[in-house]
Amino acid sequence: MSTIMLVDDSTTILLSISSILSKAGYSVEKAPNAEEALKKFNNGTKIDLLITDLNMPGMNGIELIKEVRKLPACKFMPILFLTTESQQARKAEAKAAGASGWIVKPATADELLNTIKLVLR
Amino acid sequence: MDELTSVYIQECREQLAEMEAGLLRLEQMPDDTDNLNAIFRAAHTIKGGAGVIECAYIEHFTHRVENLLDALRNGDLAVSGELANILLACCDHMGSLVDVLAAQQAEPDAALSERGDALTERLKQILDNADTPAGASLTVADDDDASVESTGGGVVSNDAWHVSVRFGPNVMRGGTDPLSFIRFLGGLGEIIGIETIADALPEAAEMDPESCYLGFEIRLQTKAGKADIERVFDFVSDECDLRILPPQSKLDDYLRLIAELPEDTLRLGEILVRCGALTQAEVDRGLLAQQNAAEAAPEEAPPLGEILIDSKVVHKEVIDAAVTRQSQVTEKKAREAQLVRVHADKLDSLIDLIGELVIAGASANLLAARSRNGDLIEATSVLSRLVENIRDSALQLRMVQIGDTFNRFHRVVRDVAKDLGKEIELSISGADTELDKSVVEKIGDPLMHLVRNSLDHGIEPVETRLACGKPACGRVSLNAFHDSGSIVIEVSDDGGGLNREKIRAKAVERELIQPTDALSDSEIINLIFEPGFSTADQVSKLSGRGVGMDVVRRNIQALRGTVDVASTEGVGSTFTIRLPLTLAIIDGFLVGIGKASYVIPLDSVVECIEHRDLGGERNFLNLRGEALPFIRLRELFEIDGPAPARESIVVVQFAGQRAGIVVDQLMGEFQTVIKPLGRLFANLRGISGSTILGSGDVALILDVAALVRIVRQAEESRLLPPSSINTPTNIQIASPTER
Repeated sequence: MSTIMLVDDSTTILLSISSILSKAGYSVEKAPNAEEALKKFNNGTKIDLLITDLNMPGMNGIELIKEVRKLPACKFMPILFLTTESQQARKAEAKAAGASGWIVKPATADELLNTIKLVLR
Repeated sequence: MDELTSVYIQECREQLAEMEAGLLRLEQMPDDTDNLNAIFRAAHTIKGGAGVIECAYIEHFTHRVENLLDALRNGDLAVSGELANILLACCDHMGSLVDVLAAQQAEPDAALSERGDALTERLKQILDNADTPAGASLTVADDDDASVESTGGGVVSNDAWHVSVRFGPNVMRGGTDPLSFIRFLGGLGEIIGIETIADALPEAAEMDPESCYLGFEIRLQTKAGKADIERVFDFVSDECDLRILPPQSKLDDYLRLIAELPEDTLRLGEILVRCGALTQAEVDRGLLAQQNAAEAAPEEAPPLGEILIDSKVVHKEVIDAAVTRQSQVTEKKAREAQLVRVHADKLDSLIDLIGELVIAGASANLLAARSRNGDLIEATSVLSRLVENIRDSALQLRMVQIGDTFNRFHRVVRDVAKDLGKEIELSISGADTELDKSVVEKIGDPLMHLVRNSLDHGIEPVETRLACGKPACGRVSLNAFHDSGSIVIEVSDDGGGLNREKIRAKAVERELIQPTDALSDSEIINLIFEPGFSTADQVSKLSGRGVGMDVVRRNIQALRGTVDVASTEGVGSTFTIRLPLTLAIIDGFLVGIGKASYVIPLDSVVECIEHRDLGGERNFLNLRGEALPFIRLRELFEIDGPAPARESIVVVQFAGQRAGIVVDQLMGEFQTVIKPLGRLFANLRGISGSTILGSGDVALILDVAALVRIVRQAEESRLLPPSSINTPTNIQIASPTER
């Protein structure tokens, strides 16, 4: 089954999304910030999909996406970012950084899993 | 309560503290965008979490607050004192809402809702007054209604949707797989026909394997609407050319489609026939008709796609602002985020277990020593070293920085100063000093009292300060540092200081001392900690209920700590709290007197000396040229039996003062699990607790602070004139065991 890396500084979001994902049978790697996530990528953890928040303290989601895209193993990995209705402007920015798509918070379990199914090979 | 909710509540509390700290900074530095973003992020996280756990009342209220913060961030609103006040009130209200959630009530009660409504009303007024720039909304044009108008032509007899898509070259680089869209589209209904368009594929030599050159013509039978189909391609909408024709579309629509697509008209016609969209006859008829029309009236309206893309153009300024915003880094938060959350109970039970382990280890050590088996002794000594390491690491787990406790006072100082009409700033140092979590929790209240006391009674009104030649703005400082096994917390102010005459007069009036008593300066000012003492002529709403300082001292003593005050009139006062670093396990130094064993906390031991002749009336010793007062435990605790010829002196230190403790025997270092004494022993002097030795015997733990004090006072009372000896003992000696 695919492994999904989940990055968000909100513990609530981390916990809720990861429980949905694990229930759906995905294995989930959680990271509370971009630096941690990048460390895991650099350690060679095999990830099939990255889901990241954009607005995080320290390195933000967009920088993370750019960095991850640079890694040879992640060149074609799907990347989704978490966003809200009010942040339309950031979508373009994140897409330009190399994101594949987005999930609008708060998402129902179905919306979430459908979106993942859409981008996951 | 489920786990998610309790995690959310915890998170909210942290974010609210963050937000409050930010708001307080906001007043001083309104232009600090980092700070503004941190505030916004805190509110945003709280709102996001509320959505997840479906807590509507928090979500709605926080949404309003977030709107206002957003306006601030975008520069539509300017920071003002009033605005900061309202936002702080909102912050408080959010805290109350979180309390409601924590109390597992379904809704906030009427009074709280009313307060919330009043606040939202204020927020709304402020926002309405701000000039929101028109057209700032970034909503994507609703293209559902912009369906292509059809003019004549026969209806194509087919009840399927026609989707024609050309992927842009960068689709795969964005991590998306064109095939996965097709697969997902299949999930909406049934794909009854599909043709791959590889016309854009260049020569093999020129082909970039990372680029996508493909397009598809798809016949899709589904009950889903156009919006649903479009949503499938949402993620690549700006990179692909997507055209969708509903079932029963007119032939003209298909013709327009063919004309707009980049491929050769004839070839497209062929493809559409192949995937079942059109019959060959329809294509032929249509193309012919179109050709005629084109000859008659060249150049039709611009393609729809272009219009749509135009409308999705994003304002460049917004992006620029977002980029700057995000590149600002606050290191502290990043560090905090690497924490692991552990329930405090788990830590406590771990510490308990380690306490047992320490005792069991001591007993194994003892047995090994008795057995005289070298290998066994070696093995147990390795074991006990490891137990020691585990003990230290486990205690370290419970250590938290005092900074968070200190930071709460920014708000207190601000609010109180406003109430009192004084100008006061708070300075904090040593915020990274660590101490046991259980101590941190209990120190908050006494600290609050001391700070309020300094604000209220310490700092003088502005006029008085100016008249004394002091700066108008008073200063209250909080400081923390480690000092030989204790943590020291200082609350100081640069106010008027304590008035000795007033204190003395009050103490006499309250019959705490006799008018004739000769008290040292420090004894006089420490009278303020006596029960029932208050010098404030008026009981103010902040402090001065006459119970304050007494309660402060009792709370601190309950933590095995002490509190002292030093003050210079006209210059200011400093309250010094000393607390043990931990409440559970310490390194002890075991000593024996007769058959009894005692433990001296190792942190306070300076050195041990042996001395033969301690005779003489004065309990003083010449230690390398310095006078060292000492005390005989044998006398103090009235232990029977003659003292041995060679006695040992343990030199201990507390709060900068040294004293010798005379004992029979030195028995070495010993890990000590502190077992508190029962209430029965509350009046014991010089004993702070007990512990169990490896042999199963009980040893008493000496209260070094009290012993040092006893030694000092014994000497002082001998030197002072006889009248002072009448001083009630409860003022002279303030040891943790005294009430």
